[in-house]
Amino acid sequence: MRWTGRSGHEPGRRAGRDGGRAVTAPTGQRVLLDGRRVTLGPQPLKGGGQAAVYPVADHGQIVVKLYREPPGAEQERRLQRMLTLTPLGGRPIGPGQPPELAWPTALARGTEGEFLGYAMRRFGEPGHVQLVGLFTRAQRLRLFPERTDWRFMLGVGWNLAFMTARMHYEGLVVGDFSSNNVVVDANGFVTFLDCDSIAFTDPATHEEFPCLMQTADYAAPERLAGGPATRQSDDFALAVLIYQLLTAGNHPFGGVPRDSESETTVKDNIAASRSYVAEPGCVIVPRGVVDPTILPPALLALARRAFGPGVTDPAARPQAQDWLRALDEERRLARVCPDRPRHSHGSHLTACPWCARAAVTGHDVFNDTPSAVPGSSTPTGTRQLPLLPQLPPPPRQGKHQKQRKAVRQPGPPSQQGPTWLPDTARPLAVGLTILVAVLVLVIVVNLAQGG
Amino acid sequence: MRNERQPRTLPASYADIEFENNAQRLPLVLCLDTSSSMAGPPIQTLNDALRSWTRELHDDVSLSYSVEVAVVTFGGQGVCAWRGAQPLPPETPASPFVPAHAFQAPVLAAAGVTLLTEALELAVRIVADRKSELRAGGLQYYRPQICLVTDGLPTDGTGRWTTAWQRLVPTLTDDQRARKYRLYAIGVGDISDMGEQVLKALAPAFNARLHGFPFRELLQMMSASANAEQRGAGDEVFEKIFAQFRTQRPAWET
Repeated sequence: MRWTGRSGHEPGRRAGRDGGRAVTAPTGQRVLLDGRRVTLGPQPLKGGGQAAVYPVADHGQIVVKLYREPPGAEQERRLQRMLTLTPLGGRPIGPGQPPELAWPTALARGTEGEFLGYAMRRFGEPGHVQLVGLFTRAQRLRLFPERTDWRFMLGVGWNLAFMTARMHYEGLVVGDFSSNNVVVDANGFVTFLDCDSIAFTDPATHEEFPCLMQTADYAAPERLAGGPATRQSDDFALAVLIYQLLTAGNHPFGGVPRDSESETTVKDNIAASRSYVAEPGCVIVPRGVVDPTILPPALLALARRAFGPGVTDPAARPQAQDWLRALDEERRLARVCPDRPRHSHGSHLTACPWCARAAVTGHDVFNDTPSAVPGSSTPTGTRQLPLLPQLPPPPRQGKHQKQRKAVRQPGPPSQQGPTWLPDTARPLAVGLTILVAVLVLVIVVNLAQGG
Repeated sequence: MRNERQPRTLPASYADIEFENNAQRLPLVLCLDTSSSMAGPPIQTLNDALRSWTRELHDDVSLSYSVEVAVVTFGGQGVCAWRGAQPLPPETPASPFVPAHAFQAPVLAAAGVTLLTEALELAVRIVADRKSELRAGGLQYYRPQICLVTDGLPTDGTGRWTTAWQRLVPTLTDDQRARKYRLYAIGVGDISDMGEQVLKALAPAFNARLHGFPFRELLQMMSASANAEQRGAGDEVFEKIFAQFRTQRPAWET
C-alpha cells in the first residue's frame, strides 16, 4: 500500500474530474503526476536552495516538490525505487496519527516526460509545525495548544526517538535530520519531511542510495568532515533535538569559547567537541541558558555521553532505544508545579525550575504573561542561584524503575499521543496499545518466517 | 491549532526578548534608498513589500527563530537607522536589531539626497557592533546579510554625484573575502549603467539590476538566502538562489 491510498488523495482520480472546471491558478506550472495533469500554485509554499514545494490546485492535501535544477538520472532512479517501498508502512498507526514519513507518492514530470520532482502528502501549518516552532516561547504559544508544557516536550522527544528507532530498524538513515524537516502536530505526533534525502539500500536490487544533504547545526563531526550519513550520525542529531526539546530550545553546542576573539558558530563548537552540557564552563553561555541539570539524571547522563565522548566517538552515542527507555521513565514521573499549571518538570527536582527561572530572568518559558518580575515576591520563594534547579534528596523511585520492562526491539508499536489522555481514555489506550503490539508481533514473526 | 495572537507590540525595553531563545543569530540589514527619486509608487511598493514580508517573517517558524532585522535608510538629509518601525536618533547607543518575530516594518517616505556611501558605512558598522555584542553575550551568529537597494547614484549632502563610495571598496572587498557578511547590492527602477557599475564594485558576488520595483521578490530572496545560511549551505547554493531570483524576472537586463 502506498501512502496515497491512506491519505485518500489519489491525485489522478481527482484530476480526472477537473476536465470541465476552470483552472484556479492559470499562472501555475502544469506537471504530470503518474501521467495525470495537475496545475501547481503560482507561488511555492517553501523554497530552499535545491528545491521548492508547491501546492496543487484543487488538491489541498498534496504538494509537489520541484528541483530547481534538472535532477540527474540518479535522483530519478532513487525516487522510482522509493515508490516501490512502503517503509514503516506495515504497521498500524493509532487513530489521529499522521504518517511518520512524507514518503513520495508519485513522480512529477513535465509535458515532455522529463523528471522534475515528486508529489507527497502535505504536512503544513496550521496542523503541522516545524519542530523548531517548539523552541521559542512566542512560536509555541502561537502555534501549539495552550497547555503545551515540558511533559509535552518529553512526549515529542519520545515520538522522535521512536520514529528514529523504527527507521533504523528498517535500514533507513534519516541523514538530514534537523528541527526544520520534522513537523509535529497538536498531539505531539512527528512526521519526517524531505524523504528524498534519506539513505537506504533497496531491498530488492541492493542498490545503495546515500544521503547527500545535511544541516550544519545537527551534523555530527564526521559528517562535517565529509563522511557519509550513518545511524550514528542520526543518533547525534537525535540527541541534539531531544536536548533542545527538554530545555525549551537551547542548543547543546551554543556558547562562545572564552579565549576566542574569532567568530564561533554551533558548527565550530561541534567540530571542536565543545559543549557546556558535557563540560560546564568550557564556553561563555548566553544569559538565560537553562541549566542542563533540569534534565532528570538518566536523561542528563545520556546527553553528557552524546555531547562528551560521543562527539568524537560515534559508537559511544546513545541510540534511539536508550532515549526511549529513559524518556519513558520520566513521562510517568514528571511533576506539575502547584503554582503554575503549565509548569511541569522532572521528578528529581523539589522546586519548580521554571518558576525559579522566571523569578530571576523575568521570562516565563511557558506563560505569556510576565508572571514574576525580579524584585517582586516570588511565588516559590526561591532565592537560590540563578537558574540552578534544586535537587531533592536521593530519589525514592528506584524500585519503581527496576520493575519496568526494557523497551522491546524496535520499540513499542506506536508513537504516543503524549500526555493528554483523559483518565477515562487510559484503559482504552492501554487496550489499543496491547492490540497493536500483538499485531506488530504477528507481522514481525510473519516477516521472519517469510524472509 | 494556530492561536490568532498578534505579536505583542515592541516593549520599551528589550530585556525580555533577549531571553526568548538562545539560538544562533542571523543579523540581516536592509539598507534602503529613500531619496527623492523613490517618491510616489516606488516607495509605496517598498512599504507594501516590507509589510507583507514582515508578516511572512513572523509566520516562518524557522527564520523567526534566529533572524534579527535592522533597517538603514538613506534619503532626506542623511542616513537613519530604524529599530523596527522606530527611527533611532543619530549616534544612539541602542542597537537597531530587532528579533524577527518582533520586527515591525517602518513606514518610509521618499525625499532628499542619496547618501549611499554613508548608509553602507553605517550598515557595516552596526553589523560589527552587533557581532561584538552577541559574542560578549555568549551568543553565536551566522554570517550576516546586508541588502543594499538603490535606484540611483551615490550623492553628497547637496545632491551632487560623488565618487566617495570608492573609499569603501577596499574594506568591503576585504570584509566579504573574510566572510564577515554577505553583501547584496541591487539596483531598481531607472538605475543607470553607471549606477550598476557602482553596485558591481561594491558587491562583486551578489549584484543585480532590475526593471521596476520587485521588492517583494527581493525580500523573498533575502529570506531564501537566510534559510540557506541556517542550513549551513555552501557558497554555490547562495549563488544558485541569487541566480534563480534573477531568472524569475524576465525584465532583467544582462
